[in-house]
Amino acid sequence: MTEVNNALSPHGGKLVDRVLEPAKGREKARKAKIKLPIDGSRATEIMSIAYGFFSPVEGFMGHKDVDSVCKDMRLTSGYIWSIPIIFDISESEIKAKGLKEGDTLLLTYQNQPFATMDLEEIFSYDKNLMAQKVYGTTEEKHPGVKRTFACKDKFLGGKITLINPPKINPPFDKYWYPPKVLRQKAAELGWKKMVAHQTRNVPHTGHEWLMKGAWFASSADAVLVSCVVGEKRAGDYIDEAIVLTHDALGQTGYFRKGTHLTSILLWDMRYAGPKEAIFHAIVRKNLGCTHHMFGRDHAGVGTYYSPYAAHEIFSQVPDLGIVSVLTLEWWYCPVCGEVTYSGLCGHDKESQAFSGTLIRSIIQDGVKPPRLIFRPEVFDLVTESGEKYGFGSPFVTNEYLARRNPVISVPPMEV
Amino acid sequence: MAEIYPINIWINEERLSKLQKAGLADMAQEAFAGLKKLAVPTNEHQRDAILKKFPMAKFDSATTKSIELVPREVKDKIFDMVVAKKTLDVMDAFLASI
Repeated sequence: MTEVNNALSPHGGKLVDRVLEPAKGREKARKAKIKLPIDGSRATEIMSIAYGFFSPVEGFMGHKDVDSVCKDMRLTSGYIWSIPIIFDISESEIKAKGLKEGDTLLLTYQNQPFATMDLEEIFSYDKNLMAQKVYGTTEEKHPGVKRTFACKDKFLGGKITLINPPKINPPFDKYWYPPKVLRQKAAELGWKKMVAHQTRNVPHTGHEWLMKGAWFASSADAVLVSCVVGEKRAGDYIDEAIVLTHDALGQTGYFRKGTHLTSILLWDMRYAGPKEAIFHAIVRKNLGCTHHMFGRDHAGVGTYYSPYAAHEIFSQVPDLGIVSVLTLEWWYCPVCGEVTYSGLCGHDKESQAFSGTLIRSIIQDGVKPPRLIFRPEVFDLVTESGEKYGFGSPFVTNEYLARRNPVISVPPMEV
Repeated sequence: MAEIYPINIWINEERLSKLQKAGLADMAQEAFAGLKKLAVPTNEHQRDAILKKFPMAKFDSATTKSIELVPREVKDKIFDMVVAKKTLDVMDAFLASI
């Protein structure tokens, strides 16, 4: 195994930038003779690669990288990486398009030229092995395993180039900070220490205190809220509500101006627990964060991982150049009369734990949660977001899945 | 002792009024400084049956160990059974009724 310095920031020492301006993009597109349409997940992964969120990854992984990531949690270059970034395709599509190694592919999205791919490798990989190594299980009820098993039987590996940068649609446009832009903004604001908060939830005060606690623990200048925007399941909060309510915590003074920034990460959660925690740490390091908070059950699902599996994994990897702020949960204590830290409050028997799921349940029952656990401004915005973006519901419905405004729109490009 | 996994039925105005009329207001527990809930107990078998029957429902295994996001109309039915039978021990009857 190559010895490398995993502490370099960005990961690998250099921020990947594979975005071309439209004129150059058009020129590159003209040279790509084979058109291949892609879906939304693939498109957003291409954006994450091209803008450097996934540095040092420069494209979809080939067999050796996939194998190394699955078995050793490292790229073949030696850098730690925990989730394979893959491009699956069927044998029949390969034949129909006549794909072969060495081709340059024009990847189209929303019927427009979007990116090119230098096809370096067409390969197969054992999906059972991939699931077992990444998720620790092959049970299909695990959403990450289900996603792996849904992959077609072949994979394409090769570097990508984004040739037609999409427009980020409102309300997400305000929160789109690619790593280069965010690093610049942090420098302008004089932020030397930034602690990342990973979220796919509307914030309750447990989240708020998790962020504030991590801010104290890391002596950070600011909290970067990194909202995962991606594949949704019925019953989740809609993406718009998540992003807008996090921003509202800063706008309404629960965080002082200049200590809090909301951003988005285009990513379909894999629910890989500890492996996803490593991935989150690397991506947020690439954004310029110096610290990343990890609470209970980070990126977990069901009972596949122990509640603090994401804490334990960081002792098994080299220094990643981003400090993990490991925290226990915040609960409501009727004796203390406040939301308080479970590591300090001794009223275990009286304590009342709460979670995003529990609060969703309260709202779904037509009850307004008290401000101690859910800020009224957040509650109002959840309701408003449902009206404005969710066809009357702040929770994902089939109608939302079918008719929601797209997060990105690819502009027309003549080739 | 067997584990208990409650279904939390959060008390809105309509439910509170029904509880009061039935003289069952004391059955509701205080929660989070201002809320009231009925915590209807289920055992492991009943929990699994509920999760299978209502896929939108979620067992919060990480934090609260409760069954949340059971559809509101289903909770209304469970709630009405609690009020009619004047007991929280209704899950067998409820599961038999669906």
